[in-house]
Amino acid sequence: MAEQGTIEPITGKYVHVEIGGVDHRIYFEENGPEDGTPILCQHTAGNNCQEWRHLLTDEEITEDYRVIAHDLPYHGKSVPPTSQSWWEEDYKMTGKQFTETLVALADALELEDPIYMGSSMGGNITLELADWYPDRFQALIGLECGAHSPGFYIDWLDHPEVNTTEVNAYSCWGLMAPQSPEETRRETMYLYEQGANGVFKGDLYYYSVDHDYRDKLDQVKADECPLYIVNGEYDYLTTPEDGKETAEGVGDGAVAVEMAQIGHFPMSEHPELFNAYLKEILGDITGDREGDLPSVLTPDDVGIELHPPAPAREKSAE
Amino acid sequence: MNDTEFASHEWWENYKETVNSDPEMQVRGHDKFSDNFYVEIGEERFLIQMQNGTVQEILPNPALNNRWSFGVEGDREAWEEFVQETPPAFNHEIVASHYRSAVRNEDGHLMMRGDNKKIFQNLRPFQRALDLMRVANNNGGS
Repeated sequence: MAEQGTIEPITGKYVHVEIGGVDHRIYFEENGPEDGTPILCQHTAGNNCQEWRHLLTDEEITEDYRVIAHDLPYHGKSVPPTSQSWWEEDYKMTGKQFTETLVALADALELEDPIYMGSSMGGNITLELADWYPDRFQALIGLECGAHSPGFYIDWLDHPEVNTTEVNAYSCWGLMAPQSPEETRRETMYLYEQGANGVFKGDLYYYSVDHDYRDKLDQVKADECPLYIVNGEYDYLTTPEDGKETAEGVGDGAVAVEMAQIGHFPMSEHPELFNAYLKEILGDITGDREGDLPSVLTPDDVGIELHPPAPAREKSAE
Repeated sequence: MNDTEFASHEWWENYKETVNSDPEMQVRGHDKFSDNFYVEIGEERFLIQMQNGTVQEILPNPALNNRWSFGVEGDREAWEEFVQETPPAFNHEIVASHYRSAVRNEDGHLMMRGDNKKIFQNLRPFQRALDLMRVANNNGGS
């Protein structure tokens, strides 16, 4: 618990970014030294930058790194572009649109040699980034990344007879590990409940339909831009095994690491454990970490003690 | 640990109490959950009759006189994994388990059956009711 009166060191601003010739007002939050290596952090489908709030306040990481987390257009505080009649069409994300947005944002913020990190849709897009823009980032961290993640482009996620506020959240409930603390799992769901109508489903068009690298992994230039595929043990959409196969398919420059006892929203479902895992990955990028990364990182490896599974609801003895 | 045998009459009675004393089943609209669902464990089927977010009755072997909107099917081993205090990956929640069966064609998981629209209309209270099988089985947890 923070003390009364604590003001967190996160700052939020808006930057105007031209994407496909259209002006977008993009919200981003940041913390860390201005001359620190930027880490551009991408939220998951239908969510917003608040998923990264515990990385933005990690004292150790923000001592060296300028952590930046943005809201994609139509998400969080990035309102739809005011010059477009966006209400006349379904929002639908594609790999092309997604990569153009990320590169335009990195350019607008004048980021030099940034590290890119994203989870879920933000993890998958590392393959397109390493294919189409291998010289824009110094390294790519694909959390919950796979060559193919079918089956989640579901009509019920945007349907007038379904409470999509809750459904879009709790369809993701089991993507998190039971070992993750209840309060942070619930907060992740709360963030999902903030999504605009149809946006989660529209992002999933990219995630489950548009994105398919099963026969194109040879095009992913991880030899030019190191690629870390880092998947949680409880991620049933892109398993650690999927991550391993994807990295093997890419070849030189791609490394797969499994994160034990965590799921598909590592940065928000269990921030303490994820931030400790991330320090190992960052250490490998900078060369400060001795030896190769293990194929599996465990809580013991990074000195994190797990909480017992959720607050027990003991029944009164009658 | 609940010392009654999993899915025995006593076990289900304890489950009913667990659901009916769960605060989350009575908030956020979950008190409108009135669709019956079945749980099929191997060859055995149990009908969970729901009214306003509470379990009214649990009937073994439902038949022609009974109604349900949807159900969950799996072998006993998958269910025993599901109700463990810390369940193993992919049998730790219903959508996870269903996905590994339906999309990835793997064995050893649970499948949702029935009216998909009603499943999604009631997703959270249904999911919570299933998760409460774990709470009932372990006398706590979530």
